[in-house]
Amino acid sequence: MSLVVSERRRVGDRFGLAVSLWRSTWVALVCVVAGTGAANAEVAAELDLAAAQATAQKTFKEKIVPFVSTYCTDCHGEKKRKGGMTFMYALRNPGMATFRKQWKQSVASLKAHDMPPEEAKKQPTPEETQVFIDWVSEMKYLSPKDPGLFVIRRLNKVEYGNTLHDLLGVDPMVAQELPDEVVGAGYLNSLSPLLMEQYLVVANEVLSRVLAPENAPPTEVQRRLFGELPPGGTDSREAVHKIAQTLTRSAYRRPASEGELDVLMGVFDLGVQNGRGYFESLRLVLKAILVSPQFLFITPDGVLESGADIVALDDFQIASRLSYLLWSTSPDAELSALADAGKLHEPAVLGEQVRRLLADPRSRALFDGFGAQWLGLGMLANKTFDAAKFPQMTPSMRSAMYDEARLMFDSITRENLSISSFIDADYTFLNETLAGIYGLEGEVKGSEMRKVRLNNTNRGGILGMPGILATTSFPNRTSPVNRGVWVLEQVLGEHVPPPPPDVPTLEKQDKTKIANLTLRQRTELHRTNPVCANCHKILDPIGFGLENFDAIGRWRDKDDSGGAIDAAGELPGEKRFSSPAELKKIIGARTDDLSRNLIEKLLSYALGRQLEGYDEIVIDRLAQAIANDGYRMQTLVTQIVTSYPFMHRRVLEPKETSNGKKLAN
Amino acid sequence: MEKNWLIDRRTCLRGLGASLALPLLETMGWAEQSKTAAYKPPVRLGFMYMPHGVIMDQFWPASPETFLTSPPPCIESLRPVLDQCLMMKGISGIPIAPLNGAPHALELSTWLTATLPDANRRNIVNIAISADQIAANYIGGFTALPSLELATMPQTHKENQEGLNEAYYSHCSFRSPTQPVPAETNPRSVFNRLFKNRGQAAEKSGASTQTDPLERGMLDLVLGGARDLRRRLSYNDQHKLDEYLDGVRSLERRIAAIEYRQKEAALEAAGVSVSKRNASDSPPIEIKIPVGDKRSEYMKIMCDLTVLAFQTDTTRVSTYIGSTPNGVSYPELGFTDEHHSVTHHNNQNEKVDKVEKICAFNVAQFAYMVQRMRDLKEGEGTLLDNCIMMWGSGLEDGNKHTRENLPFIIAGGGGGSLKTGRLVTGVSGNQGDLLSTLLTCAGVPVDRPIGISTKQITEIMA
Repeated sequence: MSLVVSERRRVGDRFGLAVSLWRSTWVALVCVVAGTGAANAEVAAELDLAAAQATAQKTFKEKIVPFVSTYCTDCHGEKKRKGGMTFMYALRNPGMATFRKQWKQSVASLKAHDMPPEEAKKQPTPEETQVFIDWVSEMKYLSPKDPGLFVIRRLNKVEYGNTLHDLLGVDPMVAQELPDEVVGAGYLNSLSPLLMEQYLVVANEVLSRVLAPENAPPTEVQRRLFGELPPGGTDSREAVHKIAQTLTRSAYRRPASEGELDVLMGVFDLGVQNGRGYFESLRLVLKAILVSPQFLFITPDGVLESGADIVALDDFQIASRLSYLLWSTSPDAELSALADAGKLHEPAVLGEQVRRLLADPRSRALFDGFGAQWLGLGMLANKTFDAAKFPQMTPSMRSAMYDEARLMFDSITRENLSISSFIDADYTFLNETLAGIYGLEGEVKGSEMRKVRLNNTNRGGILGMPGILATTSFPNRTSPVNRGVWVLEQVLGEHVPPPPPDVPTLEKQDKTKIANLTLRQRTELHRTNPVCANCHKILDPIGFGLENFDAIGRWRDKDDSGGAIDAAGELPGEKRFSSPAELKKIIGARTDDLSRNLIEKLLSYALGRQLEGYDEIVIDRLAQAIANDGYRMQTLVTQIVTSYPFMHRRVLEPKETSNGKKLAN
Repeated sequence: MEKNWLIDRRTCLRGLGASLALPLLETMGWAEQSKTAAYKPPVRLGFMYMPHGVIMDQFWPASPETFLTSPPPCIESLRPVLDQCLMMKGISGIPIAPLNGAPHALELSTWLTATLPDANRRNIVNIAISADQIAANYIGGFTALPSLELATMPQTHKENQEGLNEAYYSHCSFRSPTQPVPAETNPRSVFNRLFKNRGQAAEKSGASTQTDPLERGMLDLVLGGARDLRRRLSYNDQHKLDEYLDGVRSLERRIAAIEYRQKEAALEAAGVSVSKRNASDSPPIEIKIPVGDKRSEYMKIMCDLTVLAFQTDTTRVSTYIGSTPNGVSYPELGFTDEHHSVTHHNNQNEKVDKVEKICAFNVAQFAYMVQRMRDLKEGEGTLLDNCIMMWGSGLEDGNKHTRENLPFIIAGGGGGSLKTGRLVTGVSGNQGDLLSTLLTCAGVPVDRPIGISTKQITEIMA
């Protein structure tokens, strides 16, 4: 232990130091809590982690640093930075998330024998190379415990509309003129002058909808929000103070401070001083609330502890984070009461609330916000299809396809099924329009979606789902490559690198030579080129395995060229298949990969950022806990909500990351 | 008192389409700067973007001598205004190493910044203020809107190249290094923002659309409260809240500009002539909000709105992302191939032809816009004389992702600052140099180099 600390000190890494100290705390803790079952397991886990961290450190110092210094830094060091690449910073802070990609690329280059270049004098031995390659899988243990940077978050467009609805009963569509935005990882949290302008426009619009004009009888909402006119002789400011307190508890999603209430009292006074009546002045107060940062952003309660760089979320923030994750709207009365009582951060309470929120119809927001994005269905409504070839792709067909996936997601979530049902479910949801795609037109009538049992094992689950088969196709034909990439990335969580620019495509082949080939035969030409073969040998078989489904998901036995579909293929590990059903079996057997992928995607969505560094250790633990409970969907959600990065936030950026670039002025 | 500001008083809305009669535009603010001296209209600066590069031999004119007489097919649509156009060969793009795997995220985000994103923290946005926003900070201070940002489609594409934040894929305007500016995609809301001051509620209910005179006072108090909140937040939170503070201040400025115009309009209505005004004989502009999904119609209306915004001096800076580098296709050209995939054409004739059609289509929308500007009289000349309109792409050749000689077309005289009607060859400069030059021509002091810029391209100046 002391060795680690001193080594870290030497390189001046204050985070390394923090980890070491934190680790010593654990050692101390072991002595105290040893003996109790659950705590024991947790302590054991932390001890394992500490051991793994020490090993990774040791390997780094003894093997990796000499390796890089010997074979890499001559060209990628402090002075020479070939290709803009240097190991200078990565060597100093190897565990920093920023450098994860660089290390991984280095391994890829080593494996491919791209680096060191042939002409380099010094070449590593195969054993040395292997040590480096193996170390990369341990690399996560160099990352300090870190929940990730989290800055105050602005409500997104959907959340903003829903929150206005909850607060004032207006149609959430009142926010439709706001710019569309992408939520989840990389959510663009910024607030532009245009957006601010629109917030004021929407506030005015909302108030004119829910409040009566001056001197007109009050509306119902108005009575609920503002109550009756205080009787003559009483202090109206006292009544206003109370109203502001109640309004802000919902609108700011936490109790307002006296200072914050003073601002609103000031707005009321402004109205009165300018000759406005009691209700007209309250209207101005409500408008002020709707354009206040406390409404537009989820802001912390209380004052930040000075010097802290990692803090736990307060109960009000947890209530908001949970509610916006599962419902895309503000916390309801029960969540708010638990936050007021200071109980919400307790894992058991939180787990109970996850189940309650998921059971509520509002949880469809989880599909609209997350599920649709995960499956790539967000694009379906506006995707171009060749209208002459696929006249079926009407708006009602597209919305039925979307709903099918939504109801499936919903069913797995509410019924708390294993996530493997995403692949192997033997039922789906259809209406008459969509049943046509399945060839079940006679069996389902009417526009209402309903649960339908499927006997055909080629169908069922997301791999045979028309909406997904359609989004992964081109406007006029299927794309086995797109489908292959989709399965690998969206289902199994693998990363497929983009094709290098300027690779020769299929059609470069002699036209007459390829004219009579099926799409499959043409695509297979890919794999005769070694540049392409590496990825395509995995991508293409999966895509071909789904070739029986045309570009909008209908079953077919012949492709566009008239040739018979050959859906047979083989995946690494001699896994052979000859139909979509058999392919589904092979994919479905990889529950651990599916689970890990879903954890990563949902965690990233819940945190609103890309995952990095310490997150990998968090995911390892979540994956274990979820597997232990039969891969149940609600367990997955609960584990994410109660995870360390969901319940904490880092408020300061690590100082070392900067490449010298100053932030905005 | 007038219910609304000047343009509304003269606006008549009819049914779905709105036809605007716009005489006397010089009344709107800047004309009164001098009561006796000849009035000089302000210079406006506009940018219009197309991704994925061009087919070079269809884009570049054969020689400077034949520039006016035989435009290549891609820019044929500009023939009527070629004498007011300017092209220059030899503007290189920013080298993108170490982010080589993100050509499309970078072609757009570097377009107006000439700067690479922070490669060490790829998942957050950290690049540089863009040229249009530098202009907005300066010449935008005189107008109701500092700048206008438009796009043909929502900026919601998700693709993660080189681990870069998705925003790089769909934004070219950055208000600060960390703050991308969203663009408006709905023509109706652009129209409302430009000319209707406050939402549609009033339009529907027939109620007053007048600004609440206490709104500025209310915002002042809210701003004070936000500053209190800022004090108890962490450093990063404070930084985020600064965007909010900036937004509110900009809102206050906008309300002040509107009030100023209301006052001016009231004075005029009362018969008090503010200044010598130049009567304009501009034809009325008709705005029809398209109902179908024809791309050309959407692009035309965005062009119309830009013309209108410039003509009425509602803003002096505009940026229009005609198309983002993602799954866009152009069914109205007779094929459904996606723009990006056909640009990897490997010199097959069929695909090259499609790319060429798409490029010509995009240039034609630009040509439409600048021709409208040329048809509008302003002062002694035309609106186009006082504009600098830049059309371009962030790649030279989409097939190979090259950026050695980026395609740009400049239209407009820039108030006499640019020498048009020419193809300038042998220019040796980069995209930052070009942006610096255009800002200078628009009267924006360039006190810091824009991205990789090291000089001005004086060859294109008058």
